[in-house]
Amino acid sequence: MAKCDLSIELDDAERVYFGGEKIAGKVHVRADANVQCSGLEVRTVWKTHGRGNVATGTSEAVTVFTGAWNAGEKVEYPFELTVAVWPPTYHGHHLNIDHYVEAQAKIPWSFDPQASAMFLMRPNNTVGVPISPASAAVSNGVVQSIVAAVAAMFMLVFCVASAANPIVMVIFGLIAIAVITFWMVRVVLPKYRLGEVSASLDQATFAPGDAVAGKLSIRPRRNVTINGIELKFEAREQCVSGSGSNKTTHRHVIFETLQSLSAPTTLSADQPHEFPFAVEIPRDAVYSIDLSDNDLIWSANLRVDIPRWPDWRMDLPLVVLPAVGGGDAIRSPLEHQTASPLAADVAISHADDSVVTFEETAKHLWKVRDNPDAAKMLADAVTGLSFKIQATLERRLLYSGEDDPHVYPNGYAIWARHTEPPLPLVIYVPRELGDEFEQLGEGNWEGQATVVGWDRVHRRLQIKIDRP
Amino acid sequence: MAVAVIDVEQWCTWFEPALAGGERRAIQFIGRAGRGKTTRMLVLAARFAQSSYTYIAEDEPCPPIPWGKPILIDEAQRLPRAARSAVFSSGAPLVLATHRCLARTLARFGYLVTTIRIGAQNHEPLLREMVRRRIDASRHREGPLPQLSAHDAAQLIRRFGTDFRAIENFLYEQVQAQCYSHGEMRFID
Repeated sequence: MAKCDLSIELDDAERVYFGGEKIAGKVHVRADANVQCSGLEVRTVWKTHGRGNVATGTSEAVTVFTGAWNAGEKVEYPFELTVAVWPPTYHGHHLNIDHYVEAQAKIPWSFDPQASAMFLMRPNNTVGVPISPASAAVSNGVVQSIVAAVAAMFMLVFCVASAANPIVMVIFGLIAIAVITFWMVRVVLPKYRLGEVSASLDQATFAPGDAVAGKLSIRPRRNVTINGIELKFEAREQCVSGSGSNKTTHRHVIFETLQSLSAPTTLSADQPHEFPFAVEIPRDAVYSIDLSDNDLIWSANLRVDIPRWPDWRMDLPLVVLPAVGGGDAIRSPLEHQTASPLAADVAISHADDSVVTFEETAKHLWKVRDNPDAAKMLADAVTGLSFKIQATLERRLLYSGEDDPHVYPNGYAIWARHTEPPLPLVIYVPRELGDEFEQLGEGNWEGQATVVGWDRVHRRLQIKIDRP
Repeated sequence: MAVAVIDVEQWCTWFEPALAGGERRAIQFIGRAGRGKTTRMLVLAARFAQSSYTYIAEDEPCPPIPWGKPILIDEAQRLPRAARSAVFSSGAPLVLATHRCLARTLARFGYLVTTIRIGAQNHEPLLREMVRRRIDASRHREGPLPQLSAHDAAQLIRRFGTDFRAIENFLYEQVQAQCYSHGEMRFID
């Protein structure tokens, strides 16, 4: 058992922090026994959670104390740390990214007590972000180099193994035939029919609200009939779990739009045919994120449908980043960045809280209350939203757990039920409103409160009364 | 809780002054595992509409403890200091199931405490009635029920002592093993 308890109190826990900003607060330490601490470290970190392998990063770490604590001693250490500039907070279908302040007391020959406090982060492009067109170009170059290296290795192994055993030559030959056939069908045959084909975007980096413009050019060697040309513009979460032979890729499309660039027609020989296209990126679009096994990918997929012939396809990668000038230049990208696909079902938007009522939210939660993951995901989607709420008070909690980060200092927690549907709630009440709630007893309460989470054990939505 | 063979009225009567908002009163059930502490707690929880029941799991964070009339806390010896202080200082009527006597702590908070040691009451007639009710509650159709004889009950108590949970588990396996046979149910081979 740990000899001391840690807890973190942020100076402004409700605030959304910009990347690169400073976050301040205090680490509270309560020692149960005499403890020699070899370092109380406080750090700002981000972590992914969801279907993909966990990615994590530390922005800044400082050691705020080294020494001894006496039994029964309660001390606090102020800190000020830099928030990571990237990635932003994101709550999606397969992928979630959260930022935390973590504290860890290193105790020799004992468990190291830890505490963490979550906060929301929105990117600020004035400080720059890791994903850039340059990095995208570099990654394409790297991929080509790897493919060339693998091909060279294949040839080398083929030559050596064939000399040793003719059966190996047959196996390698079959593999080579399969690869060549795939390449022919996918690349050579469509190009043979279409002639010179090229496609490009006007630029590689975009901001939410921008128009993605580009052009497809075809110059066939002879007349060719096509069924049509289609552009699929999409954003998807792509997460990889496991590794090696146990590796699984999970994909979830979060935005998709189809555009027809051409009806069925015949393209004349030796004449250039150009098909310009333009698609608008939603103003509340999610940003491109590349965190190894956890990616948010935007792409424009072109397809030329050739009758009785393999279709020609091309993926045009693009990157969506915050507009220069940060969150002020665009309309609150975090509003979507922190919303999950479930949130889209209930048309939730932080920008306009009046769009969704608590009744709607309660109805959706009531439907999924027996599905812990879905309830948690939906609750996450509305976390931070403030609503006007009506509830019937049931009973106050004598003890709400020291680990409960939502309880106001010296405040109260009360179990209640929403009027209709009777969704169970936990209401966190500030100390100054304690008397008012005492007088209400088991009566009805109406007021403004912010959703702060989901209590999995008791299947209750946690809400915190907004201080007047 | 119709299966439980427990008379709680005596405790309800004892609790009346506390429920009326007068003095602070607490009941603690002390006993080893399998003797019926939780059964008594659940019967009492069902008896009072305003009660709240909380189980404190081992090696897990203490769950929220709601106010109730009475407040029932199972495995109360695991209550962390802060939670114990919050609950005991509330003055609400308390029913605790514990492996360790908390009477002195309760007395410090002004509670009048009744301690009930569980186990000695677990005798043969109680076991037979408990088994009869269990089988009756599980039956699929009308008809005669297999009965646990006094001889078998005595033998089970000799073997398992007053650990009725262990006896129930043993009998469950015995019944499951014979549920597709057409002979007379034999509780002990």
